[in-house]
Amino acid sequence: MHHNSMTQQNRLQTGGRINRSRPLSFKYNGTSYPGFEGDTLASALLANGVDVVGRSFKYSRPRGIIAAGADEPNAVLQLGATEATQVPNVRATQQELFDGLVSTSTNGWPSTDNDMMSYIGKVGGRMMPPGFYYKTFMYPQSLWDTYEKFIRKAAGLGRSPVENDPDIYDQLNQHTDVMVVGAGPAGLSAALSAGRTGARVILADEQAEFGGMLLHSDEKINGKPAAEWVASVTKELRAMDNVMLLPRSTVNGYHDHNFLTIHERRTDHLADLAPKGQVRQRMHRVRAGWVVLATGAIERPLVYGNNDVPGCMLASAVSTYIKRYAVVPGNELVVMTTSDRGYKSAFDWQDAGRKVVAIVDTRAEPSGACVVEAQKRGLKVIKGSAVIEVKGSKRVSGAVIASIDASGNKVTGNVRRLSCDTVASAGGWSPAVHLSCHAGSRPDWRDDIQAFVPGKTVQKQLTAGAVNGSYSLVVCLEEGARRGVLAAANAGFGDQSDELVEVALVDEVKEGPTMTLFHIPHTKSTSRAPKQFVDYQTDVTAAGIEVATREGYESIEHVKRYTAMGFGTDQGKLGNINGMAIAAKSMNKTIPETGTTIFRPNYTPITFGAIAGRNCGELFDPKRYSAMHRWHLENGAKFEDVGQWKRPWYFPQPGESMQDSLNRECKAVRDSAGILDASTLGKIDIQGKDAREFLGRVYSNAWAKLGVGKCRYGLMCGEDGMVFDDGVTACLADNHFVMTTTTGGAARVLEWLELYHQTEWPEMEVYFNTVTDHWSTLTISGPNSRKLLAELTDDIDLSKDSFKFMDWKAGTVAGVPARVFRISFTGELSFEVNVQANYGMYVWEKVFEVGAKYNLTPYGTETMHVLRAEKGFIIAGQDTDGSVTPIDLGMSWCVANKKPFSYIGKRGMAREDCVKENRKQLVGLKTKNPQLVIPEGSQAVADPKQPIPMTMLGHVTSSYYSACLNHSIAMGFVRGGLSRMGETVYYPQPDGSVIEAEVCSPIFLDPEGARQNV
Amino acid sequence: MSELLMAEQEIQTPLHAQMNQLPGEGPRAESPLYHADLTSIANHGPVDGSVHLQELALLGHLVLRGSPQNESFVTGFAQVMGFALPGPMQSAETGDASVRWIAPDEWLLIVPGSEAFSLEKRLREVISGHYSIANVSGGQTVLVLAGRDAVNVLKKSTGYDLHDSNFPVGKVVTTTFAKASAVIRRIGPQKWELVVRRSFSDYLWLWLQDASAEYGLIVRG
Repeated sequence: MHHNSMTQQNRLQTGGRINRSRPLSFKYNGTSYPGFEGDTLASALLANGVDVVGRSFKYSRPRGIIAAGADEPNAVLQLGATEATQVPNVRATQQELFDGLVSTSTNGWPSTDNDMMSYIGKVGGRMMPPGFYYKTFMYPQSLWDTYEKFIRKAAGLGRSPVENDPDIYDQLNQHTDVMVVGAGPAGLSAALSAGRTGARVILADEQAEFGGMLLHSDEKINGKPAAEWVASVTKELRAMDNVMLLPRSTVNGYHDHNFLTIHERRTDHLADLAPKGQVRQRMHRVRAGWVVLATGAIERPLVYGNNDVPGCMLASAVSTYIKRYAVVPGNELVVMTTSDRGYKSAFDWQDAGRKVVAIVDTRAEPSGACVVEAQKRGLKVIKGSAVIEVKGSKRVSGAVIASIDASGNKVTGNVRRLSCDTVASAGGWSPAVHLSCHAGSRPDWRDDIQAFVPGKTVQKQLTAGAVNGSYSLVVCLEEGARRGVLAAANAGFGDQSDELVEVALVDEVKEGPTMTLFHIPHTKSTSRAPKQFVDYQTDVTAAGIEVATREGYESIEHVKRYTAMGFGTDQGKLGNINGMAIAAKSMNKTIPETGTTIFRPNYTPITFGAIAGRNCGELFDPKRYSAMHRWHLENGAKFEDVGQWKRPWYFPQPGESMQDSLNRECKAVRDSAGILDASTLGKIDIQGKDAREFLGRVYSNAWAKLGVGKCRYGLMCGEDGMVFDDGVTACLADNHFVMTTTTGGAARVLEWLELYHQTEWPEMEVYFNTVTDHWSTLTISGPNSRKLLAELTDDIDLSKDSFKFMDWKAGTVAGVPARVFRISFTGELSFEVNVQANYGMYVWEKVFEVGAKYNLTPYGTETMHVLRAEKGFIIAGQDTDGSVTPIDLGMSWCVANKKPFSYIGKRGMAREDCVKENRKQLVGLKTKNPQLVIPEGSQAVADPKQPIPMTMLGHVTSSYYSACLNHSIAMGFVRGGLSRMGETVYYPQPDGSVIEAEVCSPIFLDPEGARQNV
Repeated sequence: MSELLMAEQEIQTPLHAQMNQLPGEGPRAESPLYHADLTSIANHGPVDGSVHLQELALLGHLVLRGSPQNESFVTGFAQVMGFALPGPMQSAETGDASVRWIAPDEWLLIVPGSEAFSLEKRLREVISGHYSIANVSGGQTVLVLAGRDAVNVLKKSTGYDLHDSNFPVGKVVTTTFAKASAVIRRIGPQKWELVVRRSFSDYLWLWLQDASAEYGLIVRG
């Protein structure tokens, strides 16, 4: 299709709110078109005579622009000039035009104008009956995969970029007394009256300009054009410090407790990529005292044959394009209306200098003022009739008119064809109740206006204007003002006095009664008539809904799922009410009897960028560092994530493999000295006269006799008797202890202690404080650790007899006050030096200054794992999984059942299942082939030849190659393992091989403990 | 009980371990944001912007736990500090000492780094009954966020309502801050104090730079 790209053949020379001095150029499907500042992409496309903007989901029919706002189902385009700036799912009616905008249609394959799918579609429609979406749920999963690929390819509502989005999206928390949603006449009035009370007010509107329908209205407020009133109210609001105005901001979600999410598009109207330093989109997370919904109403199209042919539009959209954008979207117009409302579009069309073929009024005797005006204007009004079908495929070429009976159920004859290229239909208004439904409220049907309005709600919510079914301007203005005052008063501002309610003077136009009509009859039955579309985006027709009800889907929720009505990205904004009416009629029920579906967030689609905000990349999750982190970085550490901490994993030297590094680090510790940054271990300061008793209750072992200056290892169990954390606790003074926890368990343990203190034993005098971050912990381990440390302290007696294993002492290390704990997780002579963290790096560096002669070697968590496994020390969380008791771990020495008060887990451990024979128990595993390392997680079996499913005896929890022992070592659970010492168990591998291992003690090295007691 | 007698008793049976954790002259102290070299940024970094950030490094932080019903705890604090413990969500300060209400039985006292130990000693001398004092000076740092758009940076970071009507000068809350937590105190109309954990400080420094990018960040030395 070729356009003369410079003419904008549908643009008017005057009028509208576009800026003709700012011409813009944009691309659609590779062709350049002109437009103006103030255009939407849709108005610019219509100005240039672009009729087809997509292909339909199921039947691949050409589709054009129907609406002018969020309700647009067809003009869903792909935006983006580069791969990285691709945005799918953009409604052209809501996208402001900017210079250089690049857009493409999404449903077209291979092109929108000449689409191969349309040939398939004509056949494919039969292959895809209305229940396609629903029925596939009942089919096997494998079949759904196939369908899904087909549907996705055919649907093609756009694609994600495959490159990173360079733009910034963020989130802002807001609090307000009054949140006004929608800045049409009601919303502006509400915000103004609420704002004047001094209450905090946020006014958000999805459009670039405030004013809503007033932006294209001929009505006058207080004798002046409505747009002037909008400008003066907006000006007053802008001057108020307590009012925040958010244009281009869609309130997409209205969640429980008056929490709202607003999607603000800050630069989408400026360029493809946000200007440097600017945030492209912002999610406002609003906590509101009271909410005034002034969300307006959406015009209902009428359902008639071939009503999806480009050129079929909403009557109100036709007026919007003409009055606001100075675009007449066609040449020859037929209007079909059930009320006086449609007449206005015909007048606007005529005023724009184009031909009005006829106004087809479904009412037999229309009587409003506009009927008189139509006659005055010389327009042809065809009464008691309807457009039963249009002709054309890529553009309307004619309308088939017929007279209908007073109920609107039957064609009574007089069928004729009028030549035209545009059919505008006005079927009445559907209040935009979407937000009112988000917290679960169902809308109420009102017979007098033939529409659903917001229902009873638990939210602190008021409604004003058209969403309330109040369609006249004067009522909208007054209702808005009153609701604004009430909302502010409810939130504690103002006294609801009438002085704040400014009543505007508006000339009211007398309107005649409206005819209730949704589905236009045809000369043929619905199933044989040309397709009458209800939901354009999901290709649901009136016939399809009738099929659904015939098949017995009586609940509207089932009809919805059977037909996919309302499932599109537009959530059925245009189609749902018509669909319900058709379902009701075919079941001989009323609409309220049939009921309505309710809406969920979001009102319109939202980008993932806005949802993620800044929680991406480096900021996705906090990274926690110890005070020595810079040293680790400078010394080439590889890091491991432990909780949110970045811990050195190992320190490779040039040319080393990971195993080389581990071997070297392990040997250095066993032969001389190594150092580990243990700062990340949880540390909890415990003070109070009952601290000792408290420890006895939360640990499985005894604490009553731990003396000042001593340390003890403890196991912490849940009520079920299962181990969940472990660590060493030191007695600092009679009423003062410091507990250590695992790195990942620190917060959980502190919460656990607080929980038990606050809920079970509040009488105990004890306080817990986290000191994890306060102390840096340097663990110096190895036979030379004493000598090394001696060079750094002159006030701590490190001698074997004075500073025994499991003692702690205070003194100075490298001139810095320190608490030194002689505890060991490696089985070597070992000192844990704790200094105030501001001095951690200094002391660490001093240790290295004297450490060179001892070959002091930094080691990481992986080496620590190997060293402790050589000694059979468990790691809570690796060798435990919430299903093992201390007894299962072979640690009955760490259980003291004679404590006067019970302890957490004692009863759990005594349960029948926990004391039965043959539980899985932790043992050591020595492979027959010393070089083979059993993969962690491998399952143990007694007979590797047993057919699958084999009897599994347990699994490997820790497994390494030990350079010091020159063979692999492993720990794992084996059923009845403690009584299977010396037996062989088998570990079948995915590749079919089987690793044989002997059950042994988990203590592979120095079982007598000679190395740590030196 | 005289102070002397009490001190003697403590020597015999120490109930709490007290320790001056600061070295004398010599050892280099590194605050949690030492690696960020804020001083250089302050001297050579951007000078335009409506958000100002400063680290108040190496102060003395003491967590006091005790019941407001423990008269000795309440009066002992006032006696030593010269001002009373503040009520819920309030703070109090005199000179370079300030205290923040954290929880019904918890306060955070911040003083010059060199005074933490002597104050702990004096408080322990006068307070009896059930209480605790924990020195956490190495575990956290103080950031001051100021300027016209400081409040917007905070809005990006915390869900708490920062409006004058809800968050007047002097108020304190402990709440979420991005994906970490912070003690937030308003210390002026456009000035806020954040107390953050050492291990999270780099994350929060990145977060604050990011959140203030659109307004311009000026680092103060």
